[in-house]
Amino acid sequence: MTSTADWRKSIRTNNRKTIFVIGLFFLIYLAVGLLVDTYIYSGTYQTAPLSQIFQALMTLQLFPYATLVMLGVAAFSLFITFAFSDKLMLLGTEYHEITPETAQSLQEKQLYNIIEELKIAAGLKYMPKVFIIEADYMNAFASGYSEKSAMVAITRGLMQKLNREELQAVMAHELSHIRHMDIKLTLMASLLANLIIMVLDLLFYNMIFGRRNGEDRSRNALAGIIMLLRYLLPVINVLLLLYLSRTREYMADAGSVELLRDSHPLASALLKINQDHAQNQDTYSYAYQNTAHENVRREAYIFDPTQAGITGMSSFADLFSTHPNIKDRLAALGFKYNDK
Amino acid sequence: MGTGLTIFLILLVIGGYIVFTYNNIVAIIESVRNNQKQIDIQLDRRFKVFESLINVVKNYMNYEQTTLKDVVALRNQAQAAKTSGDEAGRIAAENKISEIASKINLVFEQYPDLKANQNCLQLQEEIVSTENKLAFAKQAYNDSVENYNATKKSFFASMVVSMSKAKLDFNYPYWQLSEEKVAEQEKYTVKL
Repeated sequence: MTSTADWRKSIRTNNRKTIFVIGLFFLIYLAVGLLVDTYIYSGTYQTAPLSQIFQALMTLQLFPYATLVMLGVAAFSLFITFAFSDKLMLLGTEYHEITPETAQSLQEKQLYNIIEELKIAAGLKYMPKVFIIEADYMNAFASGYSEKSAMVAITRGLMQKLNREELQAVMAHELSHIRHMDIKLTLMASLLANLIIMVLDLLFYNMIFGRRNGEDRSRNALAGIIMLLRYLLPVINVLLLLYLSRTREYMADAGSVELLRDSHPLASALLKINQDHAQNQDTYSYAYQNTAHENVRREAYIFDPTQAGITGMSSFADLFSTHPNIKDRLAALGFKYNDK
Repeated sequence: MGTGLTIFLILLVIGGYIVFTYNNIVAIIESVRNNQKQIDIQLDRRFKVFESLINVVKNYMNYEQTTLKDVVALRNQAQAAKTSGDEAGRIAAENKISEIASKINLVFEQYPDLKANQNCLQLQEEIVSTENKLAFAKQAYNDSVENYNATKKSFFASMVVSMSKAKLDFNYPYWQLSEEKVAEQEKYTVKL
């Protein structure tokens, strides 16, 4: 029995969850917008209680400028997410695209060939874009909002340290993410969630440095709320991602085995990646930390660096691992992991 | 009134199921056909790649002109078998081309100098990739045949199929080796 039925089901689940994420994202923007409106009007009507201002906003007696602006920003960032998905996901890294014509070495040509082979095996209609990230650590991810816009990116370290079979297994894992449409969900969840945090950061610093008459009680309460959101949202963000992605990696591992009809290459690739991260913990954690916007990619990576004890990419998210641990993944592939 | 409505609703559900199943099976049939053609595309590609590869290789290692001729002859055999509808003959000819490919790879293995040569590494990569693409195309085809057969033969769907046999009932063979070929391949070991 193949998992044919299963991955079709996961496409449907992913579609549903993507709509949920976009809806939630708009709701959060709406809430932040209303909050800002209340904040602004509480400055104008200093005597009115907050609840009354809020009520006036809800019944449109006061015009909710900030809410409209926030909704505009939400629509705009959704558009940006669609239009520049690949660039945004590669934000902060040094990368270049590989095509058959621009492959600079045999290794790059081989990588392209491997992806082309697996595209046939997975029955994808479009060839994903292939990017190389210039980094020594071993990692890879897939992204995009449709099969047509799909991309895969792998680090040079991964390409150099794995043999052809193992590289094939890792790419099969990534192409399974594309086939299952996990890419759409991770793209939306990582980018939209991170954009909210950026907006809140802006508000947050504005509040700290721009306070004019900070003695006001209701304004202080609002400042408190914004500050709270600033620290609460990343946690909500991570919890959301966890809810979305419990079985995703297992499904992609299974997809890799389904395409290659062999579980050995993936198991040995995962082991190599894990060991490599453990051995070069210090250099890699420096490298990850010095790559800007690493938290955008974190959810999409095949291997979560925090599992090898590399921390500090984003303080809150480090408390939760978004990936099942390597031991469980190997066990699901039928291998036993020996800690010595 | 109540029973009339109930009967109407039941008929609506049954009708909906038939339409859904019909459309679903039509989509599956087309994906089988597409995958079948993908094999042809890959076979065609392989022929072209090998033709140019052997042309390059023979300059390097005095690889006999006959190899190229062999490939061309086998290719013609495969084409003739395909037009006459002889699937077994076609598969046999294509498999012989695969053997020549692995022989070229063995030649590479025997000469360490050659192995280190960048051009030869490229050729080797090209051969491996070409054979992989062909193998994956066959795998994808067999998977879609499996999906089609399983859907066609499952209960309820089989009733829809029997209503419209001309459009829904086809017999797609799995891509496989003949019995003799399997026996021969099983005994095969690499002689160096």
